[in-house]
Amino acid sequence: MVGETAFREYLNELKKHTPYDFSEYSDNSIHRRIRKILKDYDLTMQQLLERTKTDEDFVEKVVEEITVNTTELFRDPEIWTNIYDKIFAGVKSKKTINIWHAGCSSGMEVYSNLIIMSELGLLDRIKVYGTDINARMVRQAKSGKYALKFNLEQLQAFNKSLKKKPIQGISEIDFTKYFEFHEEEDVLIVKDFLRKVPWFVKHDLVQEEIPFYNKFDIVFCRNVLIYFNASLQSKLFKRFHDQMYPGAFLLLGNHENMSGFYKTKFSKNGPLFVKNNSFHFKY
Amino acid sequence: MLLKYKAVVIGGSAGSFSVVSKILSQINHDFPLPIILCLHRLKHVRSGLLESINLKSKLEVLEPHDKDKIIPGKVYLAPSNYHLFIEYDGSISLSTEEPLNHSRPSIDHTLSSSAYFFRDKLIGILLTGANKDGAKGMKDIADKRGFTIVQDPATCDVDTMPKMALRLMSPSKIMSPDEIVLYLNQLVN
Repeated sequence: MVGETAFREYLNELKKHTPYDFSEYSDNSIHRRIRKILKDYDLTMQQLLERTKTDEDFVEKVVEEITVNTTELFRDPEIWTNIYDKIFAGVKSKKTINIWHAGCSSGMEVYSNLIIMSELGLLDRIKVYGTDINARMVRQAKSGKYALKFNLEQLQAFNKSLKKKPIQGISEIDFTKYFEFHEEEDVLIVKDFLRKVPWFVKHDLVQEEIPFYNKFDIVFCRNVLIYFNASLQSKLFKRFHDQMYPGAFLLLGNHENMSGFYKTKFSKNGPLFVKNNSFHFKY
Repeated sequence: MLLKYKAVVIGGSAGSFSVVSKILSQINHDFPLPIILCLHRLKHVRSGLLESINLKSKLEVLEPHDKDKIIPGKVYLAPSNYHLFIEYDGSISLSTEEPLNHSRPSIDHTLSSSAYFFRDKLIGILLTGANKDGAKGMKDIADKRGFTIVQDPATCDVDTMPKMALRLMSPSKIMSPDEIVLYLNQLVN
């Protein structure tokens, strides 16, 4: 079995020879991903290293394999029904509402959010950015095409949650407004009017400057930071903080917590983290 | 007090709720080890399982957050739709990567990563269930010389899971739920 040192060496070489740096990813998880690559491509560590140095296309494949791409429409339905009354109250008077999905994978949560924004009558006021390190996922996000059967269950689960806890009086969503359902091909396609709203871009949250100038009212970063070690997490909390308006909302995954210094710069409101006003008085 | 073991990890699927309830309701209230619990559960039902287990348990049961430290005497339940791993530093790490054995959480992932960290200081218990998840993890615990207990198939609601494990490894003990409780409670004495 490949030892911990060998993994560390590989990540150092990857950093040296490619634009990617996974050295601050959570050990257990990154090692597991690399082990999976070795197995799937039937490579030794030495062979993996050689190909990484010489084959750029292969490096992109490695990045796609290392990053975890699971996402769902309305993952954790109860969370979604829980946050929007608060979000609506916070943003309803804004002329433009800027939203960033950091690490958006194939974009399913981007569209989930868009659908709720549309139901709330806010669609023509929002600017939505979705970023992910994985080029293949960004392409899929732009296409808005997903597996039908798997997601149908998600949509039903979400409507069930809505019935129990409506958002601003909305207790059911007619999803045929937003999706074309193609049962034979097992495909669900986001309709054009919705698909054209978000701007998806390939972006490495760890390494690259943020590719936009505006600040944000809502940042989604769900189940991304769990793959990073604590020190990298802290850096990203600072990054989010600097990129958000006071009073803006940050939604993490269900079982993620804020840690480090920037934790003190946010208040927790249910599942949402709200950026504190930088002034120390209330008005 | 010097204990031979540092943690208990339990995996279970179909039928395991009542067994886990029995174990946690009859365990000594001052049980000195952390218990890591990976049960197959429904994806869309977030609440419910934690609350019902907590109602019966003498120890506090929690669904951990990523990077939480493990505290003795607490029970950590793998959250719905996440894998639960033990990191190299002994903290908990969660992941949404692909299901293993059609399961997320996967018992194999929890058991194997626990084995890697705790080595021979781990007690692994596999309960009733309907698929093969957990078998490989139990083998990993045995390979690291941890103590392994498979629920006696004769006492299982669904015996597939223990049987799959028994095909892959020979556990230290095969026990009924009552014997498991007795075994855990006598660890301290």
